[in-house]
Amino acid sequence: MYPLPHAPFLRLLPEGACFQSDSATLIVADVHLGKSAAFRAKGLPVPEGDSARDLGRLLELAGKHQAHHLVIAGDLFHSSAGMTPELEAAIGDFIVRLGIPVTLVAGNHDLKIPNLPVALRSVPYLDLGHDFRVVHDPEHARGGGLHIAGHWHPVVKIPDGKRTSLRLPCFLLRQNTLVLPAFGSFTGGAVLDASPDDRVFVALREQVVELPPALVR
Amino acid sequence: MPNASIQSLFAAKGWEPLEFQKATWEAYLAGSSGLLHAPTGLGKTLAVYLGPLAENLEVGAGCQILWLTPLRALAADTLRALREPLATLAPGCEAEARTGDTPAALRARLRRKLPHTLVTTPESLSLMLTHADFSEKLANLRCVIVDEWHELLGTKRGVQTELCLARLRAWFPAVRIWGLSATLGNLTQARQALLGDAFEGSVEITADLGKSIVIDTLIPWEIDRFPWSGHIGTRLASQVADEIEKSNVTLLFTNTRSQTEIWFQELLAIRPRWKDQLAMHHGSLDRAERDRAEDGLRNGALKCVVATSSLDLGVDFSPVDQVIQIGSPKGIARLLQRAGRSGHQPGRVSRIVCVPTHAFELIEFAAARDAALACKIESRFPVERPLDLLVQHLITCAIGRPFEAGAMHREVRSTHAFSKLEEHEWEWALGHISNGGNALAAYPNYQKARLENACYTVDDKRLITRHRLSIGTISSDPAVSVRFANGHKLGTVEESFISRLKPGSLLVFAGRHLVLVRFRERIATVKPAPRKGRGNIAIWGGNKMPLSSELSHAISRRLQGEGAPSAEMAAVEPILDIQRRWSRVPDDQSLLIEHARSREGEHLFLYPFAGRLVHEGLAALLAFRISRSSGEAIHTTQNDYGLSLTSKRGLLLGEGRLRDYLTTDGLLDDLVACMNTAELARRQFREIARVSGLVMQAPPGQKDRSQRELQISATLLYEVLDRYDPENLLLIQSRREIMEKQLELTRLTAVMQRLQSLDYHLIETKNLSPMAFPLWADRLSATLPAGDAASRLEAMLNTLNQAAAQA
Repeated sequence: MYPLPHAPFLRLLPEGACFQSDSATLIVADVHLGKSAAFRAKGLPVPEGDSARDLGRLLELAGKHQAHHLVIAGDLFHSSAGMTPELEAAIGDFIVRLGIPVTLVAGNHDLKIPNLPVALRSVPYLDLGHDFRVVHDPEHARGGGLHIAGHWHPVVKIPDGKRTSLRLPCFLLRQNTLVLPAFGSFTGGAVLDASPDDRVFVALREQVVELPPALVR
Repeated sequence: MPNASIQSLFAAKGWEPLEFQKATWEAYLAGSSGLLHAPTGLGKTLAVYLGPLAENLEVGAGCQILWLTPLRALAADTLRALREPLATLAPGCEAEARTGDTPAALRARLRRKLPHTLVTTPESLSLMLTHADFSEKLANLRCVIVDEWHELLGTKRGVQTELCLARLRAWFPAVRIWGLSATLGNLTQARQALLGDAFEGSVEITADLGKSIVIDTLIPWEIDRFPWSGHIGTRLASQVADEIEKSNVTLLFTNTRSQTEIWFQELLAIRPRWKDQLAMHHGSLDRAERDRAEDGLRNGALKCVVATSSLDLGVDFSPVDQVIQIGSPKGIARLLQRAGRSGHQPGRVSRIVCVPTHAFELIEFAAARDAALACKIESRFPVERPLDLLVQHLITCAIGRPFEAGAMHREVRSTHAFSKLEEHEWEWALGHISNGGNALAAYPNYQKARLENACYTVDDKRLITRHRLSIGTISSDPAVSVRFANGHKLGTVEESFISRLKPGSLLVFAGRHLVLVRFRERIATVKPAPRKGRGNIAIWGGNKMPLSSELSHAISRRLQGEGAPSAEMAAVEPILDIQRRWSRVPDDQSLLIEHARSREGEHLFLYPFAGRLVHEGLAALLAFRISRSSGEAIHTTQNDYGLSLTSKRGLLLGEGRLRDYLTTDGLLDDLVACMNTAELARRQFREIARVSGLVMQAPPGQKDRSQRELQISATLLYEVLDRYDPENLLLIQSRREIMEKQLELTRLTAVMQRLQSLDYHLIETKNLSPMAFPLWADRLSATLPAGDAASRLEAMLNTLNQAAAQA
């Protein structure tokens, strides 16, 4: 767990989530459930499995940290083509087994889905106390408090060796916005165009480390 | 009598038909298919074209002759060559080209009505198969001619051609198929691959009219005592410039795009007055830049064009009277092909001047000449059972016209590539293109082709559009476009190159000195450099071609002292003499192993003469096996002649131990363990995923927002398949392809088996021998870093921390 210097109750988890310890709130972004089903519906043969896997990872993570509240910073779902009856059943089962409130800060993908499962509380943004606000799109950050966002699927690319580079999902702290990596297994990433003041954190084995600026370029 | 009209054409031109031309006409008119093998510039176009043309001179009977060319850049030249006899013999008939470059208006016209002769590429032919009425438009098809078949053979495009030809044979059993090929070591197999089950009764015609090829070498005035790879790289530039001066138009071939940029700059520095008469040509230059070079060659306005293999093929540049090869030719066929770019008319002599970039290449040139004289040319082996291409083709066919599984199975198996297709592979492919099939339980609700009246059909409009855009097998890596602020495009570079430069950095690209202004969203904006500085020469990845087995064998014979006296061998003798005195001259009848010590520790040098890819695999394997027992880290390097191992200690091994380490037992497992094959296979999967339609290639120039949610990287897809469908045949194919492509597994296994039976010469050297030196000097150029992401990142962080602590 990596405590952020100016946000003492907020920790970055190597699983690609963040945890507000005083309120026991677990925050993840961009799960994109039902993505492979959406691909199959369009005639692309992608096997099923990641949606169930990601829900399993979320359950485990919430249990490990004894979370009291799960917040999704947007894009829990991929598209309406992926909202199969199987997925809706899996979500229902997940919420029951999780046993804590789930709040969805609706992302651009979620907004295109006509009927979100009723057990989800869907909000445009969420204030968490300590002047923290969860939004989906980092562009929607307003005011001076710390914003927690998703949407960008940030990935950092580190050249190593002559013609090779490492590509790692990362947390990005830019001014007062913390952008979470995409939590979903079947999600791509966008290599970030780092500015000089950006701070970048990646998972390294069981911990989160901050990358020295020399590696981020 | 069709022959009569041909005779009259020749009489009118004052030509005398050549023997092989007559033989080809007769074979065609007798109803045979076949393969004509002839060097370029011998009138082979007339040989294969006049038979079918003269057979029926009627106008307006739809498309009668289909001409397949591997390069769309060749289509225009081919059209010119075909229209000439067409205008004389059948003035009312038309010839047109349909390729990716064809303007939309002409393409629309060709959709309505096909000309008498249609010139096209395998990709465009596939695309036309998706049109329901294509078979009706071809109802009078009599002959398909496949030009430059040797270029397609050995690639997936070749298999695509085979599948298209099978479709045409199924529609029109009487259609005759003729291939044109340069010299190959396996011409019979090439004909089998072309004709599939129509091979029976086909003919092979050879036109070897003693077209003489002269292979000369530019002998350096002074030979370095210790050459290393690339060391005398441009040292001979002024001698080369003198040669260019002596000729009218020179084509100067290099082996890599970077070398092209370097030689262009070098020549310009030596002869600034050639500024407007010097051009360059390589695959990463913008089309307009390349066209300028090609036009300049055609009309003789240029003095010299510096090129890569992008100019190996086709196009007839008659003014070219000299070809220069910089560095190792790597193979005999390639050297002959390049030599053939000069003297492009029957009866003229083709001359190539070879320029060594290091001393041992002198031996390669002498050896290549020996092998060319003895006609020991490389083979190209046809690709077998690429399932990615099979599923693409099945969708192509289903879009065009619903097919019945049994008939299609027979059709596919009538090709050479899929003649050994297994039942389970066929069932898998059918499942993959339709609803997942029984075996694919992990694919609920998937549907592509539908079964209707027992026939597979695709009728979803969006699927069809998407498929048409993705037909083909050429997948290029996403490249960064280099352009001026006004939009003028220069070409493309790789992201890994440009991302290491900062705004304001100097670079050399497309023969220009440039300054990087900015790099954003796959576009690098540049401006001309105010003054000439030492810019970064653009570099591209991609595999270096290994030395062919035939050429390395010829080299080994030269090293044993065989062959006629030659200037090359005389020039390199002082270096061979040192090698002989300090160690021994290696050959492929025994294995020379040198052991040496230096400040870095111990070195082991082996010279199996098997090409750099095999040596890379062998070096990694030996390092893995030795360090498994010694526990020491081992660094490896390799070149086309041999490989080296470097370690602090533990390399002083007896012959028995070395033989143990070189065993083929457990070869595959050890290779998988040491070569980061998982990572390599993941990369190979990108091509397979595109060909098989698993990922979509964004249509050029436009970003369709509605398709955005379907964008996914092949890497991610590989991981998902690996997790939930590990037996997926496309994954297995990518692992197999990478083993062959990156490691030449077949050749590696054969080499290791050969090494078992050879005598070993273990020699302790006091100084690094001339052959060891380049391997030692190469030790700093790293290859693929080993280890998983976490350990690589940890290593980098540690290095940074140590540096910080010392500061």
